[in-house]
Amino acid sequence: MPRTTAAAPLPDETLLAMFARGDSAAARELTRRLTPRIFALSVRMLGDRVEAEDVTQEAMLRLWRMAPDWTPGGAQVGTWLYRVAMNLCIDAQRRRRGGAVPLDEAPEPEDGARPADGRLQDAARAAALQAALGDLPDRQRQAVVLRHLQDLSNPEIAEIMEISVEAVESLTARGKRALAAALAGRRAELGYSDDG
Amino acid sequence: MTDNNADDRNLDLFFDAARQAAPRAPDALLARVMQDAVSVQAGQLAQPSGAPAAPHAGSGLFGQLWSALGGWGGAAGLATACAAGIWIGLAPPQVMPDPVQLVSSASSDYDVFVIGDLAAEFASEGG
Repeated sequence: MPRTTAAAPLPDETLLAMFARGDSAAARELTRRLTPRIFALSVRMLGDRVEAEDVTQEAMLRLWRMAPDWTPGGAQVGTWLYRVAMNLCIDAQRRRRGGAVPLDEAPEPEDGARPADGRLQDAARAAALQAALGDLPDRQRQAVVLRHLQDLSNPEIAEIMEISVEAVESLTARGKRALAAALAGRRAELGYSDDG
Repeated sequence: MTDNNADDRNLDLFFDAARQAAPRAPDALLARVMQDAVSVQAGQLAQPSGAPAAPHAGSGLFGQLWSALGGWGGAAGLATACAAGIWIGLAPPQVMPDPVQLVSSASSDYDVFVIGDLAAEFASEGG
């Protein structure tokens, strides 16, 4: 395991430099740290776990290959990797016939049922959100997923999407309005109210 | 605006649920990513920047052998394995260093992983 301080782990950039020098522990730590994030993003963008695995493996492979050429002090490793993954997701979506986002293992909602409890309700809400995200325009979906599911800041998203912060805010706002409208008809089954 | 606030609060329920149900990377995916890392490291260390370009893997005998070997990465692995095999198979004279010690201190700084072991390793970590 790479040396860490008691307070903070080694930054991604430091680990990447160690990887480029042949450090296998750095490779292992970067794999553990970055692969789950990119996989989660890819599943949310594509709605298909198998396709998301392919995108994730390809994105990480590109990271390994460019490691010797990484310039310190520039973009963050995570930002670069998110951008690569996003572009791979976009390419995958374009190759799909009709551009539809499949619902991968989404549970069927119960019509008119009182709200399910606990984890079942969370799973139903997550599936409903995934379906609604699939209907958004690509750029709105990207902005909403990065902001509200990957928990990135607007400046980080702006760098990943190569747009201004104002453009990120606009995309996010429009995406959220569309999501709210799409989910409005499922309040009863998904257990939330219309109270202001 | 009241409606926008309500919409935001309601959406937060969905975002929270989606974060709770975050897709988990399978152990096999983590193992494949790690295997790619090992392979790329082997190739990069075997061919440092400024080294001559790899021979053209054409259709001739050498090209076929080079392709079958896997290029620089495969050649590096084969060279290490051959060196280890020669030393392990010999009883070293007293003046010679311990071959096992020599193998473990070889110039290659990376470990050789077995895919099965990688999958087990990430499974124990909970991915």
